[in-house]
Amino acid sequence: MAKILIPTALRQFTEQKDAVDVSGATVGEALTSLTAQYPNLRKNLFNDAGKLRSFVNVYVNDEDIRYLEKTETKVTSDTTLSIVPSIAGGSSVVADPVDTAATTLTNEEIARFSRHLILSEVGMEGQVKLKNAKIAMVGAGGLGAPVGLYLAAAGIGRVGIIDFDVVDASNLQRQVIHGTKDLGRKKLDSAADRMKDINPNMRIDKYDTGLTSANAFEILRDYDIVIDGTDNFPTRYLVNDACVLLKKPNVYGSIFRFEGQATVFAYGDGPCYRCLYPEPPPPGLVPSCAEGGVLGILPGLIGVVQATEAVKIILGVGETLKNRLLLYDALNMRFRELKLRRDKDCPVCGDHPTVTQLIDYQQFCGVGEPVAAPAVEGVIGPVEVKQKQDRGDMFTLIDVREPHEYRIASIPGAVLIPLGQLPARLGELDKDADIVAHCKTGARSQKAVDLLKQNGFKHVRNMTGGIAAWSDKVDPKVPKY
Amino acid sequence: MIEIASTSWDAMVAHAESTFPNECCGAMLGKNGSEKKFVTEAVAFENAFHGEQAARYEISPEDLLAADKAARDRGLDLIGIYHSHPDCDAYFSKTDLENSCPWYSFVVLSIKAGKFDHANSFLPDYEQTRAEREELKWQKS
Repeated sequence: MAKILIPTALRQFTEQKDAVDVSGATVGEALTSLTAQYPNLRKNLFNDAGKLRSFVNVYVNDEDIRYLEKTETKVTSDTTLSIVPSIAGGSSVVADPVDTAATTLTNEEIARFSRHLILSEVGMEGQVKLKNAKIAMVGAGGLGAPVGLYLAAAGIGRVGIIDFDVVDASNLQRQVIHGTKDLGRKKLDSAADRMKDINPNMRIDKYDTGLTSANAFEILRDYDIVIDGTDNFPTRYLVNDACVLLKKPNVYGSIFRFEGQATVFAYGDGPCYRCLYPEPPPPGLVPSCAEGGVLGILPGLIGVVQATEAVKIILGVGETLKNRLLLYDALNMRFRELKLRRDKDCPVCGDHPTVTQLIDYQQFCGVGEPVAAPAVEGVIGPVEVKQKQDRGDMFTLIDVREPHEYRIASIPGAVLIPLGQLPARLGELDKDADIVAHCKTGARSQKAVDLLKQNGFKHVRNMTGGIAAWSDKVDPKVPKY
Repeated sequence: MIEIASTSWDAMVAHAESTFPNECCGAMLGKNGSEKKFVTEAVAFENAFHGEQAARYEISPEDLLAADKAARDRGLDLIGIYHSHPDCDAYFSKTDLENSCPWYSFVVLSIKAGKFDHANSFLPDYEQTRAEREELKWQKS
């Protein structure tokens, strides 16, 4: 008969015996004999599949059976078996802390959140809810900046930030979470530092990646609410579909020039983004902020609306923007609302959904490689344009941007014909001439090229990357805006 | 509920502060009562993790066996394991959970800038997928 020493923690299952004599010729048989005598021990040592639990190590005299023949290790009558759990751990920044809900606030937190605590709608209970809340922010840009600042200040316990961009000078006009000292840093790091400065007790998970169909579920599933601060349609549809499929509220905001929108999608029986916009706009139709410009203060207001909605959802107070699309016009300072309703035929959140997993959103929105391919022969790089100028080639360079943009920066020798005026000014151009069109980054000039070709112009090309690429590759003295 | 006697608590905090910025680890011995667990002795272990110890700890089986034997010899139980999180909150991390054992209470001490900040106790489940917060009290010296 071998002997098994029982750890003190398990003696409650062995009638307080600290050693038990067992039969069997192997470790496996000895353990079976032990659990046959004391059945309540079984779940402490074996999992449902009958395998030794991963934390249970068995020692034969002084040797770990993992380095012998495991449960087949032979035992004899003078063998002593010891059961020792393997224990390790660590704060290990890379690993996710486990969901362990707080039930109370520390004195430091009570002092910090006192203005919340005296609101009956928040109180201790609400502030603890905020502390236990987990919010994902997609993007740490114009909308993400105010969202991040206020979520940190409000006492949200855990915020995940998904962003792969670095801070650029042109961001500072609106992305107030980043400062001049952060130029060139990852937005993730810059935003996290600022948020930690506001509330050192919060936890920030950094995802240095774009959100994709491959990683969206994995990243978003850990959070209670998703805040959409994206600047492009493929990601916006991706966030929407992922939120619907994961059943997480999607606090939506978008901005363009002087106007913004906000609402809450995929919340309860409310609509989703696809109920409002079933189809994405044709690529290039809606310019990005980089192309169209944006009033720097605008995302501040829309982002704060998003943060407010997220906090209300967590607290369960007030009326959210569910079923309402808030429209904000900064130029005329008007707020309007549109009623929204869930579309029962919506492909994602309708009664009979056809989209039940994440799809290829680049393709869905018609952006990406297929569009770029046919355009290749009609394009020319900025360096080649400069070479043409230097060689004295006969060609016309037209700038299809707006006059106020032309005043910020221009390429010597370019003729300004804003895209909107081009149809009326075709007569100024020679249909047989060698023409190159440019704009800020290449989207508007591609439309100009298409228009000219449709009107019989034979040799028209788009300068890739626009004046921004000219500044990068030809003449850095030309400012980028 | 787990309650820790002042002498044990002071020893745990002193141990955690002394190993800062590295993690410390140890065992808590005492009595497993029906109403509460009462810790009367803290046993400091060497952190046996091979590598950077600022965010990791490991307990050597020899230490754990010896602590269990010490408990047995004194008529006590090995009630729990403690470790520190330097410059980090006292949450139960995924690493903590995946290397835990449901037989014990796991007390985590948050040490910030070398000084004790706060602490929590956790009870991991058998499958190592969840840990419940356990009420933690310590006696003031």
